[in-house]
Amino acid sequence: MDVNTYIQSGVIESYIMGIADEQEVSELMQLAARYPEIKAAIDVAEASLEAFSLANATPPPAVVKTAIFEQLTSEFRPATEPKEPTIISFNFRWIAAAAVILLIVSSGLNVYFYSRFKETTSQYEALVLEKNTLQANNQMMQTKSLDLYNSMQMMTDPAMLKVAMPGIAGKENSFATVFWDTKSRDVYILPNKLPQPTKGKQYQLWAIVDGKPVDAGVISDCAGLCKMKNIPKASMFAVTLEKEGGSPSPTLSEMYVAGKVG
Amino acid sequence: MEAVQKYSESELVPLLKQRSQQVYSYLYDNYAGALYSTIVGIVSDTELANDVLQEVFIKIWRQIDSYDAGRGRLFTWMLNIARNASIDTIRSKGFQNSRANRELTENVYESAGSVETKTDTIGLRKIVAQLKEEWRVLVELSYFQGYTQDEIAGILQIPLGTVKTRMRSALQQLSKQLKEK
Repeated sequence: MDVNTYIQSGVIESYIMGIADEQEVSELMQLAARYPEIKAAIDVAEASLEAFSLANATPPPAVVKTAIFEQLTSEFRPATEPKEPTIISFNFRWIAAAAVILLIVSSGLNVYFYSRFKETTSQYEALVLEKNTLQANNQMMQTKSLDLYNSMQMMTDPAMLKVAMPGIAGKENSFATVFWDTKSRDVYILPNKLPQPTKGKQYQLWAIVDGKPVDAGVISDCAGLCKMKNIPKASMFAVTLEKEGGSPSPTLSEMYVAGKVG
Repeated sequence: MEAVQKYSESELVPLLKQRSQQVYSYLYDNYAGALYSTIVGIVSDTELANDVLQEVFIKIWRQIDSYDAGRGRLFTWMLNIARNASIDTIRSKGFQNSRANRELTENVYESAGSVETKTDTIGLRKIVAQLKEEWRVLVELSYFQGYTQDEIAGILQIPLGTVKTRMRSALQQLSKQLKEK
């Protein structure tokens, strides 16, 4: 058959314009498969119809496009962004996975740090208590130390008269010293060596004035020198063990130490 | 202005099948005008043509998966959808009724004018109008009104063979003029 005559018969145009009947179409399809020239002619005819149509386009009103896109909105969304969303969801999955892992790690650390926190807090409280105790002890020591310093100052004062009181017969192990301020006449005692008084008993200092014992005060628990009463005049000092709070007159059988002034 | 991206047909089709709104918008912007000319050429009523164009683009969207590039160009496929939708519209009962009324009115007030002449200035109709009457009638009945060659043979009271021969001659001539434009 004459391919060129067939091509120019108008059947191709009839086909692309949709006018050809079934018989014509099937004949054309068979021939196009067999003759590349016919296939090429169809392509050319299609291209020229398209070019002509585009050149003769009439712009439709804008409302039509709006209406179409409104109608298709729901159909675009699930699939309109076929590339980016897969990437985004891929990234999102990684981010989500990372976030979950971080959350678990973080929760674990929370428990760990909380227990550490509680432990540290109790340790801190113990330290504060210990510090307060130490501070109190330190203050006590300072007071004691100051008392001792003051006592030492007094003992080395040239105006201070020192009266040594050795233990009397039967009480040789005992020893005490009276410091007597020659200006103010204040009396202090240093109980160097006196047995721990039994319960309900207290040592009492006596000044012997004109042969008679005068109460010079009871010895309480003091650091260094214990301040006693003011004694203007005395020839001798002695210490007896009396009932707590002292007695009006000394129990001579309970005398421990005694010493003459001068 | 943003750079307008150009797509070749082989790029367009897969993107449309992936339901890309952007590419669909591009398709509309580039081809709606050409299809609209064809639709207006057939339905002869711009308001109705708007509805048909909308219907055509919805069909293109929904049927893109059935388009086979091996069987022809995308535009040819779209043009056929547009032509078929237009012919379905003028064949519909509602259209027939309104047209009957309109033709009646026009016949009364304008004596002889035909509706078709109003769109003679658009696209393919412009060329078809220049064909000799014997051929023009055939193209008019087949392409613009969707009658089969069998039906045309019946309408014009001429043998089917003659319809086919004349039709081919008419299209040959049309094709020549098309290429000259």
